[in-house]
Amino acid sequence: MSGAAEQAPVLQVRDLQAHFRTHYFGVNREVRAVDGVSFDVNRNEIYGLAGESSSGKTTLIKTIAGLLKPPLEMVGGSARFSFLPDWDAVGRAPPEVVRAIRWRHLSYIMQGSMNVLNPLRRIKHSFRDFAWRHLGGSKAEFDLRAAAHLERVKLDPSVLAAYPHELSGGMRQRVTIALATICKPEFIIADEPTTALDVVVQKDVLGMIRTIQQEMGSSVLFITHDMGVHAALTDRLGIMYAGRLVEDGETPEIFARPLHPYTRHLIGSLPRIGDTEQREGLEGTPPNLATPPPGCRFHPRCPLAMSVCTTTVPAMIETLSGHRVACHAVNPGMAA
Amino acid sequence: MSALLDLDRVSKSFSRGGLFSTRRVAAVKEVSFALEADKPEIFTVIGESGSGKSTLARMILGIHTPSSGQVRLGGRDVTTYDRRAFMAEVQPIFQNPFEAFNPLKQLDRYLFMTAERFGGASGKTAAEEQADVALRQVGLSLAEIRGRFPHELSGGQLQRVAIARALVAKPRLIIADEPVSMVDASLRMSIVNLFGRLRDELGLSIVYITHDLATAYYISDRLIIMQKGVVVEQGPARAVLSAPTHPYSRQLRDAVLTPDSAGAFRAIHSRQAVATPGVSS
Repeated sequence: MSGAAEQAPVLQVRDLQAHFRTHYFGVNREVRAVDGVSFDVNRNEIYGLAGESSSGKTTLIKTIAGLLKPPLEMVGGSARFSFLPDWDAVGRAPPEVVRAIRWRHLSYIMQGSMNVLNPLRRIKHSFRDFAWRHLGGSKAEFDLRAAAHLERVKLDPSVLAAYPHELSGGMRQRVTIALATICKPEFIIADEPTTALDVVVQKDVLGMIRTIQQEMGSSVLFITHDMGVHAALTDRLGIMYAGRLVEDGETPEIFARPLHPYTRHLIGSLPRIGDTEQREGLEGTPPNLATPPPGCRFHPRCPLAMSVCTTTVPAMIETLSGHRVACHAVNPGMAA
Repeated sequence: MSALLDLDRVSKSFSRGGLFSTRRVAAVKEVSFALEADKPEIFTVIGESGSGKSTLARMILGIHTPSSGQVRLGGRDVTTYDRRAFMAEVQPIFQNPFEAFNPLKQLDRYLFMTAERFGGASGKTAAEEQADVALRQVGLSLAEIRGRFPHELSGGQLQRVAIARALVAKPRLIIADEPVSMVDASLRMSIVNLFGRLRDELGLSIVYITHDLATAYYISDRLIIMQKGVVVEQGPARAVLSAPTHPYSRQLRDAVLTPDSAGAFRAIHSRQAVATPGVSS
């Protein structure tokens, strides 16, 4: 990745905080779904984000993409894109600026393909809705371009005339990939794009995301809780727990030398074919983010917990080259 | 040897289309297998979406009637059972614990109702006692669950309550349809290990329906692999998954991504592509 390191990152997230704030009947409630997350995504790489449900990964990408709707508020920090240098977050830019970059520079591959494609509109109409504004040209030209692009994801141009329900889950997911990539965006956010697919189709779709990403040289922020997918696809990987990033680094490095106890558990608990060793689940449950535990949020479930973990938030420290971890057991005496 | 559960060439087809263009779609075609009564085991059904594995589960539970063939429990056709007697023998666990429970209903009431209807408990004290025993078998207790609503528990805890609810009826067979696919990664193995304990300590047989080959390898004794309603391969779980013979089983096994498959898609990543950014801003 040395070539990529010379260039400025496409996305720089610094101390990002996004909270859900509600006040009903005089009771103020604040859920700190994203609490002080910092990382970079370089040009031409797939950055993976792993974490279980309610770890804040979807809130994080919503904030990065500027899809902020009450009660979700961006409270502090920045998420700066290289193609939007004048604003420190998409959510802080005026709507007309956001409309111009959305889909042209920043696009999304969503989880439920059935929810993204309008069930009452043919695929070609969906393509026009999303991308015509950015690509221009006559309607016929645009349709030809869409058909050519569909061939890249190995779909027949006749798919353009179909309704979403006529396609299988794997085909629909490929349509959403084609939709997200037709404008050749610099940054693609993929939120669990293969979770609803079965393993054989999933392998196809992942290979396709990698091929298209390389052809265009874009960056992808890829979110899934499936560590096997991260191992196979991503270049770098960040692990989230309870709204905070606890570890990040190059994917092979993280799998070879996981430092944070939570990462170690995630990797160690995966059963493998051909291996009959007993594997244990983690005791306890993920914390409620309205009342998170003080200090390190993992300490109630952590096998290495010490007294300092219950009071002090550990700092994210670069322990090895390009490998950061937030843990008192790994970096003694480093408070955030 | 008597069979606990015995499927004899079971098929199910659904009709699809309108009044004039009705087509029959076969969801399950001639599936046969048997679980022995005195040999508790975890029997896994593997298959992709649309392979008919959930239809098979519904037929075992008596929700669907087979189009042909017979599902027998203890030698008797399940469609001839009295429902209440049947549910005391066979209990289901569903995929999504958040959808399985009514969000407006306290969880302990499910346990008490099951105890009174299927577990033979008469009166409140007996039901509470049975609920507590079942909850302790899954690592919870009635004191923790009493009066709680589904949203107050995590997915892993809820799925354990769902398993405890099934245990209250003291069944001989549990049908678990994708029980861990909605459970958090850090809790998944505790549910899978719990199934192993139920088999070893309570002597329960479990039909474990999944598309996750790794947990199937880890926990199950025997398995069948289904494709488009047909059983393409069957046998002892570890033997089949270590050396699958059918092309579809091999395709499934090769598609499983584990930490060991690191870089499956990264290998093609070239430095030259890094040096030339695709789009200039």
